[in-house]
Amino acid sequence: MTALDTIREKLGTAEPWVESRGTWWLNPGAVSVRELAQAMNAIGARFVTITAYQLPGDAGFRLEYHWDLTGRLLGFPFQIAGNSIESIFDLCEAADWIEREIHEEYSIDFAGRAYEPLLLRQGDKPGVNLREEVAK
Amino acid sequence: MSYKIPMGPYHPGLEEPYKLDMICEGETVKDAELHIGFNFRGIEHLAETRNYFQVIALMERVCGICSFIHTLTLCQSMEKLAGLEAPPRAQYIRVVMAELERLHSHVLWAGIAAKLMGFKTMFMTCFALREKVMDVLQAISGNRVNYSMNCVGGVNRDIEDPAALAPMIDELEREMMRTVIPIFTTSSTARSRCAGIGVLTHEKAVSCAVVGPTARASGVPQDLRRDAPYAAYAEMKFEVPVEQAGDVRARLFVRALEIIESCGILRQALSKMPPGEISTGGDKFNFATGTATSRVEAPRGEVMYSVTWKEGSRNPARVHARTPTYANMPAVRWMVRGARLADTPLIQASIDPCYSCTDR
Repeated sequence: MTALDTIREKLGTAEPWVESRGTWWLNPGAVSVRELAQAMNAIGARFVTITAYQLPGDAGFRLEYHWDLTGRLLGFPFQIAGNSIESIFDLCEAADWIEREIHEEYSIDFAGRAYEPLLLRQGDKPGVNLREEVAK
Repeated sequence: MSYKIPMGPYHPGLEEPYKLDMICEGETVKDAELHIGFNFRGIEHLAETRNYFQVIALMERVCGICSFIHTLTLCQSMEKLAGLEAPPRAQYIRVVMAELERLHSHVLWAGIAAKLMGFKTMFMTCFALREKVMDVLQAISGNRVNYSMNCVGGVNRDIEDPAALAPMIDELEREMMRTVIPIFTTSSTARSRCAGIGVLTHEKAVSCAVVGPTARASGVPQDLRRDAPYAAYAEMKFEVPVEQAGDVRARLFVRALEIIESCGILRQALSKMPPGEISTGGDKFNFATGTATSRVEAPRGEVMYSVTWKEGSRNPARVHARTPTYANMPAVRWMVRGARLADTPLIQASIDPCYSCTDR
């Protein structure tokens, strides 16, 4: 069994891995981001980053979580309709700053964690930097 | 009784702003809080307003030391979206520039570390050596800092006579072997200021997901040049130095050994450089709708870019840059715990922090 199969088994998903432009993507389906973080910890993957995208209109946001597994970049897209997603900070301390940064740039709440003072000090309130409607 | 000592945002040793609030008992640091973002520039947002030429020049300004690496990572992402692959000669030139930049960065860091150790003669020696590295970069690109070398589909300038650069590389290596590496690895000053100081354990390095020499000095053997080769690295033979101690001295050793490896890679790339074109040519590209990511092993560790495009658009829809210092700096909190207050400037410097990258 390959490492990628092991991840699918741990997550209990039948979704296939899709390789696209050098990244291995897996649609997490019903798997929560916390279950994903636990599975990544269990397999020894290294957290890389989260990339946030504001979707058009009222479609919400897409957050792409990235881990590295022995040089292979793994990607897991999560679409959120509202403004909130569970924090993985307590499971993966490397996610601390990027969660705070996304909170400040997009006004997305990572539920279950406390926020320290602003990470990006030139914004005077969360959401002013990249989120379009807040910036207006 | 504990008390708080603020260090920064105007740092005593490093000319970039960030702040470390240290909670001390006597001379011992018990805990620390890190604050960044004093010079946040919103470059990711600016990138969405730049076309596919301008965005390369913009991202070159993310970092003053590894400006080449940032454009390389960006261009590799854009090439994936455009369905292009840089010609073999361009891939070799990218390796040469990336390794020269690593030498530049490591020697610059060695100078600053020497200054923070109170070893000012060594600081001057390192900076004189750095000038020689920059001379080579200037000979290739015409520039000493922002090189404007990368373009979508290759590089902008050729190395017309690679053999002519070999003596410059030999001289660099000779100087490093004669002065920098022996002094840093054997002198009692370096040992007394660095050994057992600012330890980042292997477990904490894994948990914080640190990258680059900071990770390798804590026994984490990761290096994208070997693990996920890009440009022409798959054709280079080199070792990835790894130390286990996790202290400032281990970080120093790793960088010193990497300097030697970089000289070896440079020699291979210059001697084996294939003939041919340096870019795919043309200045009009069809970027497919979607996202492409690319990662490169910068001098300080992994850089990752996610670039999103909508077909037909001149501008990217989103550019996200994850820089190595952004990953490494939170670990400083664990490095300074239990340290003497007087050692904290050197401990912070030992990750080779780049606040410009962090406040991109």
